[in-house]
Amino acid sequence: MNTAALRQQARTFPTTAAIFVIALAVSIPVLVIVWSVVQPSTDVWEELWATRLPGMIRDTATLLATVLAGTLVLGTSLAWLVTAYQFPGRRLLGWLLVTPLAIPGYVLGFVWLDTLQEPLGARQVRSIWLCALVLTLTLYPYVYLFARAAFREQSQRAVDVARSLGCTRSQAFWRVVLPMARPSLAGGAALVGMEVLTDVGTVRLFNVSTIADGVLRVWFSTGNRNAAAELSVLLIGVAVVLIAVERLMRGRARFTQSGTTVGLHVQRLRGPAAATASFTGWAVFGIAVALPVARLITWAAEASRTNQTATVAGDLPFHLMSSLRITAIATATCLVLGLLLVAGLDRRRASGKIMARLATLGYAVPGPVVAIGVLVTLAAVDRSGWLPDGWLLVGSVIGLIYALVVRFLAVAYQGIDSSVAKVSPSVVASARTLGAGRFRVATRIELPIAGAGIIAATVLVAIDTLKELPITLLLRPFGTETLPIWVWQATSESLWVQAAVPSLAIVAVGMLLVVALLWTLEHGAETVS
Amino acid sequence: MKRRHATRLAGGVLVGAMILAACGSDDGPQEVEGSVEPTDDAGTVTVYTGRHYGIETVFEDFTSGTGIEVRFTTGNDPELRERLIAEGANTPADVLMTADASNIGLAAAAGVLASVDSEALRSAIPEELRGTDDEWFALSQRARVIVASTERVDDPPTTYAGVGDPEWKGNICLRPSTHPYTQSLVASLIIAEGEERATEIVQSWVDNDPLYINSDTDIYKAVADGECDVAIANTYYLGRLLTEDPDFPVAIVWPEQDGRGAHVNVSSAAITTNAPNPEAALTLLEWLATDGQQAFADANFEFPADAAVEPNEIVASWGSFVADVGAVKQLGDFQPAAVQLLSATGYE
Repeated sequence: MNTAALRQQARTFPTTAAIFVIALAVSIPVLVIVWSVVQPSTDVWEELWATRLPGMIRDTATLLATVLAGTLVLGTSLAWLVTAYQFPGRRLLGWLLVTPLAIPGYVLGFVWLDTLQEPLGARQVRSIWLCALVLTLTLYPYVYLFARAAFREQSQRAVDVARSLGCTRSQAFWRVVLPMARPSLAGGAALVGMEVLTDVGTVRLFNVSTIADGVLRVWFSTGNRNAAAELSVLLIGVAVVLIAVERLMRGRARFTQSGTTVGLHVQRLRGPAAATASFTGWAVFGIAVALPVARLITWAAEASRTNQTATVAGDLPFHLMSSLRITAIATATCLVLGLLLVAGLDRRRASGKIMARLATLGYAVPGPVVAIGVLVTLAAVDRSGWLPDGWLLVGSVIGLIYALVVRFLAVAYQGIDSSVAKVSPSVVASARTLGAGRFRVATRIELPIAGAGIIAATVLVAIDTLKELPITLLLRPFGTETLPIWVWQATSESLWVQAAVPSLAIVAVGMLLVVALLWTLEHGAETVS
Repeated sequence: MKRRHATRLAGGVLVGAMILAACGSDDGPQEVEGSVEPTDDAGTVTVYTGRHYGIETVFEDFTSGTGIEVRFTTGNDPELRERLIAEGANTPADVLMTADASNIGLAAAAGVLASVDSEALRSAIPEELRGTDDEWFALSQRARVIVASTERVDDPPTTYAGVGDPEWKGNICLRPSTHPYTQSLVASLIIAEGEERATEIVQSWVDNDPLYINSDTDIYKAVADGECDVAIANTYYLGRLLTEDPDFPVAIVWPEQDGRGAHVNVSSAAITTNAPNPEAALTLLEWLATDGQQAFADANFEFPADAAVEPNEIVASWGSFVADVGAVKQLGDFQPAAVQLLSATGYE
């Protein structure tokens, strides 16, 4: 017994060591930032506190609360609508309502900013509420996806029991369905919260001064990298609180499905109710996707008429290839490392928990801050003489990929972790008892159940990477000019027409990824049931 | 069990990623886009530039004239400065170009710019438009002026302080304090009027309830659309708008013409301390200051730093003006104070 345990340990040691190295490597750039708190720039803080900090905290809190409320209400109700009711266009809408995920907030932001400028006026259009609306429209799919999955997994039996105890259909929703979906909703909302906290592109369009914007303000205006880093530590603090709240919401609840389930009964809507349901779905899709894309297309047409469809660096295929290459490599790397972390971290131990936390810190830090953390880290390695002659990490593809992994590994890790956790230990044990080998269990049970979730997580990473701007802007190698960089070059001068072609290209690739995501989810759901 | 399964999957994907990475490198580094083919093997000069409009044609001209290839990357001024500082001795950059005086000043203060001893540069660029130790050279000037609607405003303000006159309350457009142009303008106010008076002026702007717009083009459009009557903006954006619509209903008012002159900021260039190819860098700077002056300034409707070079036709049509050239060199020094002042007055 003891020898077996030792042998087991000896066999896993290289894995453990590798995991340790990965977690450490991924967390160093963030730790470099956090380290700055050790020597606080007191004078900067005093000045900030006396001037802008209260406003930043207010704006961040307002935006966070509004977008969280908005995405939860919108995402949950739309998910419930397409899951529990039958109405014309239901199936198509069920898919289309995920597509806002393909549109970066900064693109939706500038399109609506320009479109509403005339009817509303330039002053009214620059408001925190419109910013919150834009962020809600681009981010609600996170909640929607989680909620829909949760509703689909629920059994009609629970509802039936509630109904037999005298609940109306809507009471059953509030008292049974929604509470059981709570862990999933909290998971989706946590993702939304992170995106809102770290957004720097959308908020600035609308003159909203969040803490993330303040980090850039302090860093760029004063060149005081330390003070900026300290401010981002405040942001990490808020993110940690957010995660704690999510854990709290999730509670001890672990809802695993046992045996065969009967899905929720679908109620057919007729007449005005059906029309209202369809209209609601189409309206959201119209505002979040159809109208903005139509506007982009007219701009793109104008751009092609006036010959503004390329940049100094190259044409559309060149930028597209840059984007695809970086997205593919970064996503694959996140997937591998995410799998290794999930496989190798023993989170029953404190060390495993800490490692997991460290490796996923980057998601709570705004892109530009990750970029500067990575820059400082890699530059130190470049100077150390550890690398072969002529090798430099700063400004290399490796450096850029590394930074993107630091930022987005959390998305892969969380997705993979939660999918693998879905595999019920009792099912695995039963299969083993019935004589199935490990390989058979892995391919016949674990892969079908967790596989879809893993692919979904991978697609989410790809979408995030595709839209990424600040890290790529600072760390890209010569000859790598992604689509968001093109958008940035045009929008930083308010040249919307020139920004249309790359924006559309991002949306198009994003849409393909969303379709892949949906296909995976549908396909995965079929396999499990 | 779960672990083994995940590890195996990870292995498969890793191989995939390596294949991808390998494929990627095939069409990668050798072909540096954003650069111009050399006419012969005269070397390459690598540029970090915070200015990304109209720069490419200028570099093309340079390459066809000298045979030196230009490899450049664009970015925000402060980020490029941070990258340069972090890279230290390993930087691939020979030249740093910024769109704003304070940012190149901060780079010089950080010790990443080299003092340049060049007679050609000294004679082309006036002393006020160079770094104290000739660490940087202005290549073009951008004037930040008062602009007003030609349809609704008969008597526009003629000083920056005038924009704060209660007459314009609720009718002014300004660029947010996050932008270097605003910071440099306020730095110039501090230099000219002292901190106390500068605070009063900025406070009077804030009290006028400005509409903050983070784009000079949109500021001009807001004036044209009647969102505001008076604004502060850079002239060259009007150059672009007038090219599209010659009747664009916004006019420039040269401010402070009875005194120090209109606030000017500069696009500038410098050779980095650790430039791998300082000779090519010097050739580029000298060329930009002489043969390339016209193209460089015209590309963006700016004013050439070399007074002997004629500005572009549209630019010339705005007439000559007194410019606050004396302040340019100090803008970087006073930028932190400007940022503090902006925060203290509640300027958004």
